[in-house]
Amino acid sequence: MKNRLKVLRAERDWSQADLADRLEVSRQTINALETGKYDPSLPLAFKIARLFGQPIESIFQDEA
Amino acid sequence: MAQKMSPAMRRYLLRFTPAMLAYVAVLPCSILLYQHFKPSGLALWAVAVAPALPIVAVIAIMGVYLAEETDEFQRNMSVQALLWAMGITLAGATVWGFLENFGVVGHPPTYLAFPVFCGAFGLAQPLVRWRYK
Repeated sequence: MKNRLKVLRAERDWSQADLADRLEVSRQTINALETGKYDPSLPLAFKIARLFGQPIESIFQDEA
Repeated sequence: MAQKMSPAMRRYLLRFTPAMLAYVAVLPCSILLYQHFKPSGLALWAVAVAPALPIVAVIAIMGVYLAEETDEFQRNMSVQALLWAMGITLAGATVWGFLENFGVVGHPPTYLAFPVFCGAFGLAQPLVRWRYK
């Protein structure tokens, strides 16, 4: 699944570690999310959406 | 850069270390008690099973880690590595069992199952992580 995490993070000038701290996950988790190698669960997706103040579907795009 | 350890992983290590130390302490005690007192009946059962208990605790501690890990991606990777370890151990035991049946190989002690499982888990972990690099 594609996502705009890297762009949203860059807009705020956050490092992967900054975003990891805010979401209470590891930096590897952020990396796996950003590269699209790991799709988050609904609770984590909602947490990300709340953090960026955007709806889930504007952050994650279903490629199907 | 050093990776920060999750609180669940820290608790896992805090529980795992004393359990392994208990194993290292209990095993020679069991052997000495067996050799010096030649226990029988219930006492023999107790002396014989004692070294297994810290290992059973380690297995439970692994389960508790999975339950407590709040970083879902880290938990996912641990689960994948544990499944690989389980598959390798079960496949190895099955193949070995049939080879043994036909007299090709000897009978190893069954308590080796857990060390084999841990070895496979140790090998699987970096491979699983590498897939997400």
